[in-house]
Amino acid sequence: MTSGEWRVARKRTALWLAVIVGVILLSCIPSSGAEWKQAVEPWTWSFPRDHGSHPDFRTEWWYFTGNLEDTAGKRYGYQLTFFRQGVNLQPKDPQNPWSIRDLYLAHFTLTDVTPGQFSFAEHLSRKGPGFAQAAQDGMDVHLLNWSAKMEGNTVRIEARDHEMELSLKLTPTKPVVLHGEHGLSKKGAKQGQSSYYYSFTDLQTDGTIKMPGSQFPIRVRGTSWFDHEFGSNQLAQDQTGWDWFSVHLSDGQDLMIYFLRRSDESVEPTSSGTLVTATGGATHLRLADISIEVLDRWKSQRSGGTYPSKWRIFIRPANIKIVLTPLVSNQELVTGGSTGVTYWEGAVAGTGTSGGKRVTCEGYVEMTGYAGSIGGIF
Amino acid sequence: MKIVTKSFLRYLPRRLSLSLLQLMGVACGVAAVVGMTMSAITALASFSKAVGFLSGKATHSVQRPAGPMEEKALADLARDPSVEHFSPVIDRRLRLSNGDLVRFLGIDPFLDRAIRPEIADAELKRDTGNPEGALSFLLGDDAVLVDRELAQQLKLSSGAILQTTRGSLRVVGTFANPSGDPLVLMDIANAQRLFALQGFVDRADLILTDELGFRTRWENGFLIQSGRQRSIIFSAMLGAFRLNLEALSLLALFVGVFLIYNTAMFAVVNRRRDSGVLRSLGARRHEIIVAFLTEILILGFIGGALGGVIGYCLTRFLTALIGTSITDLYFFLRPEPSAWSSWILFAGIGLGCGASMLGGALPLWEIVRTDPVKALSGRVADRQSGRNAHRTSLAGLLILAISVILLTLPHTHIYVGFAGVFSFLIGASFLTGTVLVAVHPGLKWLLGRMGRLPGKVAAGNIRQNLGRTAVAVAAFMVALSMSVGLGAMIGSFRQSLVWWMGSQLQGELYIGKIGEADVPETFYEEVKRMPGLGGADPYRKVQVLYRGLPVYVASVDASVVQRFTHFGWLKGGNENWEPVKRGGVVISESFARRFKVKSGDTVVLGGAHGPAELKVGGIFYDYTTEHGLLMMDRSTFLRVFGDHTINSLAAFIDPDNPRRQELIQEIKRRAEARGLPMQTQSQLRASILKVFDNTFAVTRSMRALAIVVAFFGIAGALLTLFMERRRDFGIYRSLGFSTGQIATMTLLEGLGMGVVSYLLSIGVGTILAILLINVINLRSFNWTIFFYFDLGPYVWTAITALVASLGAAAYPIWKVCRTYPQMQIREE
Repeated sequence: MTSGEWRVARKRTALWLAVIVGVILLSCIPSSGAEWKQAVEPWTWSFPRDHGSHPDFRTEWWYFTGNLEDTAGKRYGYQLTFFRQGVNLQPKDPQNPWSIRDLYLAHFTLTDVTPGQFSFAEHLSRKGPGFAQAAQDGMDVHLLNWSAKMEGNTVRIEARDHEMELSLKLTPTKPVVLHGEHGLSKKGAKQGQSSYYYSFTDLQTDGTIKMPGSQFPIRVRGTSWFDHEFGSNQLAQDQTGWDWFSVHLSDGQDLMIYFLRRSDESVEPTSSGTLVTATGGATHLRLADISIEVLDRWKSQRSGGTYPSKWRIFIRPANIKIVLTPLVSNQELVTGGSTGVTYWEGAVAGTGTSGGKRVTCEGYVEMTGYAGSIGGIF
Repeated sequence: MKIVTKSFLRYLPRRLSLSLLQLMGVACGVAAVVGMTMSAITALASFSKAVGFLSGKATHSVQRPAGPMEEKALADLARDPSVEHFSPVIDRRLRLSNGDLVRFLGIDPFLDRAIRPEIADAELKRDTGNPEGALSFLLGDDAVLVDRELAQQLKLSSGAILQTTRGSLRVVGTFANPSGDPLVLMDIANAQRLFALQGFVDRADLILTDELGFRTRWENGFLIQSGRQRSIIFSAMLGAFRLNLEALSLLALFVGVFLIYNTAMFAVVNRRRDSGVLRSLGARRHEIIVAFLTEILILGFIGGALGGVIGYCLTRFLTALIGTSITDLYFFLRPEPSAWSSWILFAGIGLGCGASMLGGALPLWEIVRTDPVKALSGRVADRQSGRNAHRTSLAGLLILAISVILLTLPHTHIYVGFAGVFSFLIGASFLTGTVLVAVHPGLKWLLGRMGRLPGKVAAGNIRQNLGRTAVAVAAFMVALSMSVGLGAMIGSFRQSLVWWMGSQLQGELYIGKIGEADVPETFYEEVKRMPGLGGADPYRKVQVLYRGLPVYVASVDASVVQRFTHFGWLKGGNENWEPVKRGGVVISESFARRFKVKSGDTVVLGGAHGPAELKVGGIFYDYTTEHGLLMMDRSTFLRVFGDHTINSLAAFIDPDNPRRQELIQEIKRRAEARGLPMQTQSQLRASILKVFDNTFAVTRSMRALAIVVAFFGIAGALLTLFMERRRDFGIYRSLGFSTGQIATMTLLEGLGMGVVSYLLSIGVGTILAILLINVINLRSFNWTIFFYFDLGPYVWTAITALVASLGAAAYPIWKVCRTYPQMQIREE
């Protein structure tokens, strides 16, 4: 690895949630004898059931990001994420809706590229009497007034907070993509340090969004990305953060790569990626297949964290060379109201070549662990 | 400093005892005002602060019109487009094992974060270095957070056990609570279990973006209140109590200013002769004025400052008393006495100087007008005092006439009533001069019988020095009248309450405790079915809104109540319960007067299923709430409000039932098995009387303060008289008076003034009591108190008058005995 080259790792926000909440809670909950299920063996997938919740696993999330455009051609980005974090596998009084088996967390962001405006909101709640729920027989997850529900081949996501709103209909144009080994995605060398992970990498999107300050909802269209991941014990102690990329190329290919960063500044060897063809065929990418170089950095005035802000990515097997830059520099979330963790997750765009032909691309990038430690949140 | 002023000020240390007495007079007056006013302000401000802190950022709240709200409604709140944030709350009181009541909030820290970030942060961000502690609040069944001050007070640290009447709770941390209202927090899941409220919450606090939209969806069956409305309703609940406190503060002000006035006047009158001397030596009029004012202001300044400090000390005692009363009568409040501020000192000084100036102004005006030669003789003014007394009495009569007009004006604000009462007191006090002249022969006879010649001379002295004695008697009379009036009013009120209890509280046993321990419905069913039991009355009392104002609704078993109690009805008898059994209501006198509702009218209350029309079947006397009480049958209550809570259960047994004792024991056993608190009829009555007595503790302390103030008044007057007439003692001596005789004379002067003051206070005090009952209470509380004559207040006041007047004479007597041998008649 060259000096300017970064081998950054990706892991979703929920992974550090898994660490901070999970480790904390593990230590304080009396052992009931029962254990959370570990992601060890390849999973036998069955859809739409597997779009639903897997409560035997400690951590689970449903992750929507997308790049949108209104009728005037103005660009927007959004993120709507639901996390379920297991707290107590066998609560004393499971019939009582207030008893805490899981905590539900959610983050909602909107990016308006033209004025460079970024807004975010967060929710955190127990299941309670109807506050939060993730169905087990299909995708139907809600936290207070934010929800994601799949009916037939369409996912409807809704969120409203103060002045920002989102109401989108997402229709997958490619089949489910299983990451890693048939959906078993390794996050470390040890057994159980894995998660089950699949995506809809290309969802045709349309609906409305409302930015803070604007009076009326804006009609938008675009492309979304959906991740669903569940596991119990993924991150190792020495893993300090991750970088995750989801990119739609104009030739119809979709690319997902993640790098887990370790405290010694090396990259977790199990970091990997997936390349999805225009027809939906998926190829697993090993760490050796990917190289990334950070070309610029951006310092957050709010948190003081310095994040990479321009990347050159090279995918050797497909000869993809692209340069990505954020559409808005400041897409940092300071999530004091739920997780208490600061991270950057935002819309990006770029240009490059794929198989020697010029392509444009857009997508989302997530970076954690750049603004202080992610430990000791609560 | 001008020489004239210096010569005046030299007088202060020269007659140190009188100066000190005057100083104490001013200090006591100021202390009474500062103490009372500050306590009232502190208690009410602490109430606003507590309400503010506990409301947090909530713009509104939603709850059922009566009783707890089903938690299933919360899911709809979560999805309502107008709701930005919501937080379900269980808001109760918890009795600690040491007997203290504290506010208890059951909250969901996740949802509450948007409403009360300070509290939620305390839970979620607490002790970051100790993950084990961080979530123990959520996961421990008995885990509570205790506010820092309470924890300090109870010496609780993390891990300690907080003993309460609802069991032991484990303290997992503390938090800062700026409201000063002791607060215990628990996770809502555990709070539901602790208060047997599974499936229910008390209310949800909301942050709304669109109130109108929200109301259209939720108004039917729910009570939606904005923060402002809640605040107004809380304030409205305290309205009459606040008025009462204001009245007491005004009373304190009245007595205080009167005393300071008295003191300042003595100061001026004493200096009449000195002013004559100075004037004759060439001092100019304005120099005399400056000298006087300096002296008065020095007294006012030091006395005011001292009074501020004493008043502040008083607030520490009075604030707690007021807090207890508000807690007993309205809602939980534990006001903390306000911290010391130099403003208290400034206020005291301002008050002392202002009142001193007011008191000194008239006599000062008289002195500077007086011819220096006449002033030199020192007693000129007194020779005219008879005429002056009559002039003052005429003014008094005029003020009394105004007072009558104020008191008889119909439908006026309560302040007009207060003004009427105060002007009555002022008018009556103006009559003392004439009364002293009128009773002089009788007094002469009485004191003559008691002390022969010295007695007669004492009576003469009182008559001769009307300028001073009339004011002293007036001040003393006002204080004693307050003692008689407040005592008679409180006594009558207490007797009315006893009568009311006799009419309504006829149960053998009362199980459960309002606000602390509700009675499970199953227990009621169980008791009801007990063979041989006369009846069981499931009582529920809850605050609702009527015409936007807080009133109370009580639910009873009308048949049982009809059979076993004998309510005091304004009209009719127990047949008034018949319409109640058919779905109507009976209303309290306070409700009827407050809302001008009559028997046969229909009242409309917002119920759980929308507005409910209820026909009024009768009006009963009631002293439980000045806001108005509607009583309905439980079946009606359940239909209208759907609230199954039972606050207390009264068990009735026929008096001639042979199994009476056995039944009582059986109910006790069953209640004990469920851990329900119970009281016998006599215990319940005693506890009500205790609340009553606590409520009037503030009034009683004001009464005591009035006496103290009066004591200084009369002591100052006697001492002044003595100082003024030192040379007279020389004359008495030359006429053959012994030391003992002069001491007797001084003593009888004090006694004579005390007797006249007391006799006057019997009449004035009784009228005051009647005014307090028929004007103030009726107008501010809307209830009729029956006047019961009780000798107690009169006897106590007589003893007080005797002790105070003799006590006030003690120092002058001691002075007489000590200085008599040196007394000369040099000047004569």
